[in-house]
Amino acid sequence: MAYEFTTSEPQASDSPWDDDDGVLAHTAQDSEWTKLSTNFTNAGYREGITAGKEGALQEGFDTGFALVGAPLGRELGLLRGLASALLSHLDFLPVGTVADSQREEARALVNALAPVRFSDIAPRDLEAEQHAKEHLAADGDDDDDAMDENEELAEKRRTEQLEDMMRRLDAGSGREGESRMGVEGVREVRARLEALCVAVGVDARPIWI
Amino acid sequence: MSDFDLEDLVHVEQTFYESGHADGFAHGRIHGLIEGRALGREKGFEMWEELGFYEGAALMWQAIYAKDGKDTDRAMHHARHLLDLIGRFPRTNPSADDGIDISALLRQIRSRYKALCASLGVRASLRVATADDGAEAEAEAQGLNESPARKAQKGVWKVDGAPAPPQGLSF
Repeated sequence: MAYEFTTSEPQASDSPWDDDDGVLAHTAQDSEWTKLSTNFTNAGYREGITAGKEGALQEGFDTGFALVGAPLGRELGLLRGLASALLSHLDFLPVGTVADSQREEARALVNALAPVRFSDIAPRDLEAEQHAKEHLAADGDDDDDAMDENEELAEKRRTEQLEDMMRRLDAGSGREGESRMGVEGVREVRARLEALCVAVGVDARPIWI
Repeated sequence: MSDFDLEDLVHVEQTFYESGHADGFAHGRIHGLIEGRALGREKGFEMWEELGFYEGAALMWQAIYAKDGKDTDRAMHHARHLLDLIGRFPRTNPSADDGIDISALLRQIRSRYKALCASLGVRASLRVATADDGAEAEAEAQGLNESPARKAQKGVWKVDGAPAPPQGLSF
């Protein structure tokens, strides 16, 4: 019994089995290692991307607000307010005291400024464009989480583009030939407004910022 | 061999997690900045387009009245106050932390603008009413768009860096 046990058992387990066991253990260890690495790296990445994004949103918002949105909005708003008030003033004046051409010019300026949107005059966000390009280039390599983030932003952009399209349609149907006016167009309107002020005799020099 | 594995495994999990976290954080930060910028640009534009309109109108009426030598007119009193109020409005992202009540200031600005228009309207005839309607409709529309968004902003957009200090709210 005892002899049989000691001779048969080691034989069975010793020769092929033990070696196989060792190889299996090694490959299992490797795949376990890879799995471990992937799992923990991904978990870290997932939480990191959320934390990084949340931490930076406010900073980005404040930057965009202070450096682009507010000054650009103010500039356009000022022009609209100036043009609108000047038109009202010219409209008050009794017929004959102001040239019709001046009144018409004021009205044309007000109308020209009316359809201008942020997207028409906003400077490009080069950093954002660059990053979007990187995503495109890295397409297949991208982590699922990163794609999720990108998808979220892409959806926002799609909505914006759709809005722009609707605006373009609106503007296009209403004002033939007066397509989207960009920065140049606004600058031109400003120059015309300045000239009109001079023509009308309103000293608007201190107004121009 | 097995001792080494067990010992190292604990650190290795942490190391993997941390390296993943660092990469993710850097990437998330880029997206946060981009998305935040996009929102901030829109919001700042929207807010200051409205304020700029009032400012421009007040400035133009001042210039027009100055030309006519009517600086002391009641309308010019409104224009001065309107410009003063707008001057107090922060050019950076306003937040509750500044100690400045943005919604209240905006309300004051809008009603002062209406008062300016009303006093101008009294002096002049119906044309102002039309110009006024347009401007007010614009203001109303923006007000409607803004009120929920602004409320949300109060909560969401907590400001880290304090914008320019308010010059006081007394009015």
